[in-house]
Amino acid sequence: MSLQGDAVYEFENLPLEPVETGTNLLVTGPALGGTRELLLRLLLGGDAVVIITADTSARETLSDFERLGGSAPGERVRVVDCTQDDGDGGEFVSAVGTPADLTGIGIEYAGQYESVYARGYDAVRTGIYTLTPLLVYSDDVRPVFRFINTVSSRIRTADGLGVCAIDPEAHEDRVVGSIAQSFDARIEVRDADAGVDIRVRGLPDQPREWTAVPALR
Amino acid sequence: MSRELSTVVCADADEEHRSATATALESAGFDVVTASSVDTVEAALGGDVDCVVTAFRFPDGDGFDVVAAVRDRHPDCACVLFTSQSLSELPRGGREQVVEYVPRSVPDARDRLVDVVEGATAEVTQAAYPLPENETERLSAVRAYDVAELSAEATFDRLTALMTTHFDIDVAFVGLVDEHEERFVACTGANWRTLAREDSICTHTILTDEEMVVEDTHEDPRFAEVDRLDELHIRSYAGARITDSEGNALGAVCCTDDEPRSYTRAELDDLRRFADEVEEQLLLRRRLGEERE
Repeated sequence: MSLQGDAVYEFENLPLEPVETGTNLLVTGPALGGTRELLLRLLLGGDAVVIITADTSARETLSDFERLGGSAPGERVRVVDCTQDDGDGGEFVSAVGTPADLTGIGIEYAGQYESVYARGYDAVRTGIYTLTPLLVYSDDVRPVFRFINTVSSRIRTADGLGVCAIDPEAHEDRVVGSIAQSFDARIEVRDADAGVDIRVRGLPDQPREWTAVPALR
Repeated sequence: MSRELSTVVCADADEEHRSATATALESAGFDVVTASSVDTVEAALGGDVDCVVTAFRFPDGDGFDVVAAVRDRHPDCACVLFTSQSLSELPRGGREQVVEYVPRSVPDARDRLVDVVEGATAEVTQAAYPLPENETERLSAVRAYDVAELSAEATFDRLTALMTTHFDIDVAFVGLVDEHEERFVACTGANWRTLAREDSICTHTILTDEEMVVEDTHEDPRFAEVDRLDELHIRSYAGARITDSEGNALGAVCCTDDEPRSYTRAELDDLRRFADEVEEQLLLRRRLGEERE
């Protein structure tokens, strides 16, 4: 389970090359449609997973994750739920209750991360779906920057993988542009006639032109 | 160890825990200052601090009071909550606090704490603003320019004075963006010395090679809640980035006014010319200094 120096995160059934450990990816696309499924697919694989969910409840997120082939919540799969859903997910699901409590989300996230780490899972994939409610609930963008920088540097220094989604239509371009600065690369998602297309900015060896994602048809 | 000795404040009311944590951090090569109360943490914040590790319960407050004191003094200093308190027992901190957290209940918790502190002190990690991709190289580039030593102040003062009349604005300045704050090396129309990076518009200007314009800070979601800008009567802003010959952003040459205003393309071209002048002066003076050595 330990990572080697040249370890990478691989993505099954997606037109993406493996990325180095410590990489943070921003996924931008429409709120509904393929963005959420793409994010969940990026978390598949044998690694530990911590999902921060702010748009959809832990229950819904986990059921979709399992439908796509992910594991059920347990030692290896954890969720921090920031929606107002009061479902009891047990010890593997932390409830924060509001996307406004960035300190609470950060602490619960670190707590779940430390729990999987302590069980020997060095490779941890983090998913945030989505940053949009965090920004909407915070009048000031600065605490959101602090939250993103804190989480992304934990991921970078712990050799993890970070995948955060944001709906660019919900925010001004200048805000999305500043947020994107904290990430190594941006995966853009667009709905196409026959499903979903993606393209990547910021990393070499990844599709720069719009590329169909057959798994998301 | 090649790394510069980072200073960590270790706060815990329990003497045994405090000393064990301090020892673990010292063995990892950190310079450790211990504190047993919120008050003593405040006293320790007078010096250079790279990270604060705090327990939760103190006789005069709690861990979030410690974080509030740190954010007040050193806004982007890394804070790590290290406590055996279970998460459900922790009162919720303010949304602006955002800290790292290591539960004392995990196995080898102090080793994990050291890992997290090492990660948190290697770079600025709890910044409430976007950071340039090449921040480490950028900072060494900024350090290479000692404006006082280059005797460039008088020249820059003349340029900023010209700018205020040319653009008919309140304030013009040349600012260098250091690790934690922007330093105003020349400023006409105000008496500004430094500004925390999270409050400074230039923090965003150094990320773009285009001129940055904020016509009305109250209408821009990035700045509308930044009270410090109102205190400084900055309602509108135009800035042009200055870089060294390798392309590292050093800071910006800027105009501000207490009224909303827009800038024409011709005005922005002029602003770019002022910035080019500053860039060239810095470069020439540095070369001159190197030749003298």
